[in-house]
Amino acid sequence: MTKRMPLAQAMQTIPDGALLGLGGNTLNRAPMAAVLELARQKKRGLRLVKTAGGMEVDLLCFAGCVQSVDAGFISYETEYSLCQHYRKAVQNGEVVAHEHACYTVISALRAASYGIPFMPVRGLQVSDLVAANDYFAPVTDPFTGETLNAVKAIRPDVCVIHAQLADEQGNALIEGPKYDDVLLSRASKTTLVTAERIVGPEYFANSPVKADIPHFLVSAVVYAPRGAAPSACHGLYGVNGEDLRAFLNLTDNAALDAWLKRRA
Amino acid sequence: MLRPCDMMAVCMARLIHDGDTVFHGVSSHLPMVAVLLAKATHAPNAVHLNIPGGVDPHRPRLQTFTSAGGELTDTAEAIFPLQEVFDLSMRGGLDVAFLSGVQFDNRGGVNASVIGDYRKPKVRLPGGAGSAVLIPTAKRAILWRTKHDKRTFAETLDFVTARGHVTDIVTPLCAFTLYKGELIVKSVHPTSTIDEVAENTGFPIRYLTLATTPPPTEAELRALNDIDPGDTRNLEFR
Repeated sequence: MTKRMPLAQAMQTIPDGALLGLGGNTLNRAPMAAVLELARQKKRGLRLVKTAGGMEVDLLCFAGCVQSVDAGFISYETEYSLCQHYRKAVQNGEVVAHEHACYTVISALRAASYGIPFMPVRGLQVSDLVAANDYFAPVTDPFTGETLNAVKAIRPDVCVIHAQLADEQGNALIEGPKYDDVLLSRASKTTLVTAERIVGPEYFANSPVKADIPHFLVSAVVYAPRGAAPSACHGLYGVNGEDLRAFLNLTDNAALDAWLKRRA
Repeated sequence: MLRPCDMMAVCMARLIHDGDTVFHGVSSHLPMVAVLLAKATHAPNAVHLNIPGGVDPHRPRLQTFTSAGGELTDTAEAIFPLQEVFDLSMRGGLDVAFLSGVQFDNRGGVNASVIGDYRKPKVRLPGGAGSAVLIPTAKRAILWRTKHDKRTFAETLDFVTARGHVTDIVTPLCAFTLYKGELIVKSVHPTSTIDEVAENTGFPIRYLTLATTPPPTEAELRALNDIDPGDTRNLEFR
């Protein structure tokens, strides 16, 4: 069964208010084509989930699409620096920052993928994050009585992952660093894949390298060449600094809309 | 002219012992270069761990936009990604984690979360990344910060992202170490003075002996240029 569809149609399956997992890490293989389309469709109330996010979170905050962000770290890293739109949106109270340690996002996704309500974690013994957030709570080891902290499961309604290769059934291969994308696909109710290249139905059957994400977890496949740009896609292209700077220099939503339209 | 980035990279590298398992994350060019330098000099058996999961990458071609990209996996010997590095730390197997923050107190507390109130912050910071779980579980958490001023080294923190096993903090002016739970000056870099450190630290500074950080050796500087010809270690100072 082919799940291939145009980008706009795939993004229309994400409702306002969805708990949305995003693949990649900072400026590495962020699903930017999908994110730009979500901004063009003027989604509202999205609740984003990512270990370490950057441009995709910043752009969706700029476009007014976001209600909350569950993440350990939000920045473009050193060279391109802070996510100013995210930062302002949190400071204005428009977006709620649910700060995690990156590991507690991973643990919350693991809990969801294991079908259990929470995951105990070490660390966090002396952190104001525990008292400040209702997704952390102390938990007692029933066998030894030791106190750990529990993190509540995060089961995204949907996640969007950009891959180098996919077939039309939804089998997808990530080349180079996979970050937390494989886990994200297991933890989410469904996965949308955008891919640099669509391969034939026999490709993975005949290849010694198998897909990371199996078709039965995937509900849409979108052909999206340069679909991570202006972030990098390992083995294919690096960061497009010029385009990224152009985005960072946008000052208002009219300019953002024009920038998004030019890339449609 | 001794550049602060070179002094800091060398100072951080010297804190790595041969055989240590060592992790650095995103926005971490200085510690990434420090790990590579340690492996190229006194600690060839240190194990380089990172977010994309490249174990001991061989002469990676460092990129400016990230310290967590595919350059660290392309020439690696094995794949051991972030999730597993955290697991390693949780079970007591991570020797060193390099982390940073925006505020530090004199007990080794770290704030990387907010200035002001958590819910309605005056400044929303990027967040502590792995700090809240790594600082308490890694055997040694080594911090670096390229700013050294009274706002960074503060009497009290707006928010405690993490506390735990901080052992050292390296800045452009000096190296601090934790001694009996208190941050003390271990050595002042040759480009600074103890008075300058005191003037730029928001709590009274103390030390056991007044030492100068040994400047980078010729061999260390040669290795630095070899590892990092694009000078990514200087990114935070540009």
